[in-house]
Amino acid sequence: MSAGTVTSTRRGLDAAQRRAIRARKLRRVSVYGLAILISLWILLPIWLIGTMAFSTRADVRSYPKHVAPVPFSTETMEFFLDTEGILTATQNSIVVAVFTLTLSTAIAAPTGYAISRYLFAGRDAFRLGILAVRAFPIVILAVPLAEQFRDWNMFDKVYSLALMHTALTLPTTILVIASVFASVPVELEEAAKVFGCGPVAAFRRVVLPLALPGIAAAAIFTFVMSWNEVFAAILLTLDNRTLPARILYTLDKSGDPFKFAGGFFMLVPSLIFIFFVRRYLFNMWGQITK
Amino acid sequence: MNLKKVNWAPYLLILPSFLYLMLFFGWPMIRSMELAFRRDSQILPLRTEPFPDSATVGKLERGAEVTILDVIKSEESSTGGLLSKKSFWLKISGIDVEGNEIEGWAERGPVFVRDASRSEEGRVVDSSVTVYAEPDETGASVGELPQGTEVTITDWDELEGGVVAGGLLAKPAQWFKITAETADGDTLEGWVKRGPVFVEDTRISTTGRVDKGEGAKEWTLDYIKRMVNDRRFTESLRTTVLLMVLILPVQFTLAIIMALVLQSRLKGNTIFLYIFSIPLGVSDLAAGLVWFSIFTQRGFLNSFLERLGLIDKPYIFISNENKQYIILAIVLAEVWRATSIVMVIVVSGLQAIPGELIEAGQLFGANLWQRLRHIILPLLMPSLQVALILRTILAFQVFAVVVAISGGEVVTVLANETYRWYEVGTYNNPNVAAAYAGFIMLISLGVAVFYLRAVRTQEERATQK
Repeated sequence: MSAGTVTSTRRGLDAAQRRAIRARKLRRVSVYGLAILISLWILLPIWLIGTMAFSTRADVRSYPKHVAPVPFSTETMEFFLDTEGILTATQNSIVVAVFTLTLSTAIAAPTGYAISRYLFAGRDAFRLGILAVRAFPIVILAVPLAEQFRDWNMFDKVYSLALMHTALTLPTTILVIASVFASVPVELEEAAKVFGCGPVAAFRRVVLPLALPGIAAAAIFTFVMSWNEVFAAILLTLDNRTLPARILYTLDKSGDPFKFAGGFFMLVPSLIFIFFVRRYLFNMWGQITK
Repeated sequence: MNLKKVNWAPYLLILPSFLYLMLFFGWPMIRSMELAFRRDSQILPLRTEPFPDSATVGKLERGAEVTILDVIKSEESSTGGLLSKKSFWLKISGIDVEGNEIEGWAERGPVFVRDASRSEEGRVVDSSVTVYAEPDETGASVGELPQGTEVTITDWDELEGGVVAGGLLAKPAQWFKITAETADGDTLEGWVKRGPVFVEDTRISTTGRVDKGEGAKEWTLDYIKRMVNDRRFTESLRTTVLLMVLILPVQFTLAIIMALVLQSRLKGNTIFLYIFSIPLGVSDLAAGLVWFSIFTQRGFLNSFLERLGLIDKPYIFISNENKQYIILAIVLAEVWRATSIVMVIVVSGLQAIPGELIEAGQLFGANLWQRLRHIILPLLMPSLQVALILRTILAFQVFAVVVAISGGEVVTVLANETYRWYEVGTYNNPNVAAAYAGFIMLISLGVAVFYLRAVRTQEERATQK
């Protein structure tokens, strides 16, 4: 009799445990389901426009639409790239983005270092100012800057747009680089100084190598921001359009193949670059909340 | 900090970015205000009667396009009766500096009547006139025409004034391309300078443009009034706010869910992290085009619905009558594109919450919803506030998504109006564009201050408890 009760209680415990395990498993599975659902929500539209970009033009115009690029064809993509002005615009976009990346990183790096390493009067005000500037961009700046560039005879120049994009990306770049420097332990720098390095040598030999991957990630993000920017680009250029400005300007006169191929073409760099900087994303944005 | 030994190094290090932001952020802000509130170009008063001293109905800006309704010739003799000045007065209608349509009289001089000089008939008034092959006095001549010859004008050309030999400035010259019959019956074709050919003003054109005016450089509210009177102003403001109200709640709910999913550290977390962050690098224009491909008439949504058998012919989602579907498409595109930014901010907020707190909640038997409501969300508040301010301000600048999906005509937003007012092809009025940009800045600032105030009073209430 007693043996029977023991086994029954043991069985009862087992059941409760099993239930708990099953509940946890269920939760796990539902979280997985949720994650996959959200992934689909993000990936499906990209897959669909990719399908369009790699179908024949006849298929792009056909209805109902295919949901896979079968038959696969580069015709639509080639048509887009062969459209007059697209290659030059792409080239302009790359030049603007590279110029922006270089200038922005060059100006932001010392500032980021100063913010992360020194306590100085006005540091908090300066940081707050940068945050404020980060939140109020493009639309407000583009109109007066376009007028100013006309006065200075710099209107419709690729490098003037890069100057504008630098102003736009600078706050973000500064904050990201500051967080990158902050993640390099001060002790390492001090140790280098103890072993006879001057402040410059300590920075160059110890801090910089450790910070370099993070700075590269910030630079890549700057590139993507400039590559994507369209409002200032369309206001500040006329003949020397960047890619988004060129596409937007003729949008109402363009057919579906042009729009879809163009949309996909603009997506590609972001897909690649985000892959490389994904580890640093929280560095970049975590900063903003502190 | 020791006052005697100020460390200058950090100031030197931040100097370049400080100067850069002053030049490319501070200065344009000031320029923007100047553009919106200060008139640079001259204005032309329109009068109730065709006399110089009659009352003014309104003011037209230089460059304004006008319609000519009537024309009269008035002869005005000065007091001594020696000189009499002939002048033409035009009755014109146009959009005034404040954006209202007005009608009134203006003297012909300042109003450049575009087509008047294209009158087709003319007569040679000088003793003779040389006809050139090209509109160029130094070029080859084709022939001569005597006084009184009737000519037909086929084309005209206005040459910019340039520097002539001796460094004097030449006036801009108008050239006519004419055909005429010479004395021996041949047809002569070529270019003549306007002066010697009198163009009969028998036919006055119906359109013109204000070429010059009077006065300049003054502080004015005209551009602001013009913006407010703009027929798209209210609509664009309403749409912008509507989009914001629809997008933000969805975006924040989804972002918190995404962050919690990432935080539960599934196997393959890095892959999910990558996928969830992809939209961070997607431009608004690309996102707009992606969702356009879904919502367009022959797009994926219609294909899908038809395969399911719900519709038998493609439904036109994007049209004048279906604004609600355009708005839906824009909302989906913006949620798709911009939720990741909120997610990243929320994730870094979550990482700052001590794990023990959540575990304690679990230990006391709080379920997921209770933990979320009473532990996670309150601790997440600072991050959410930052994200909210950021997203609200960005929501006032939504632009390319709207243009890519709706074309910017049927559904319009504030940033799109800024662009349209600036663009050379449409209104070409940087002042009104600056007024729009300033307006966007003002409401963004207002919202930021409002949020920060709300946060502070909340905190005060919390501390008082």
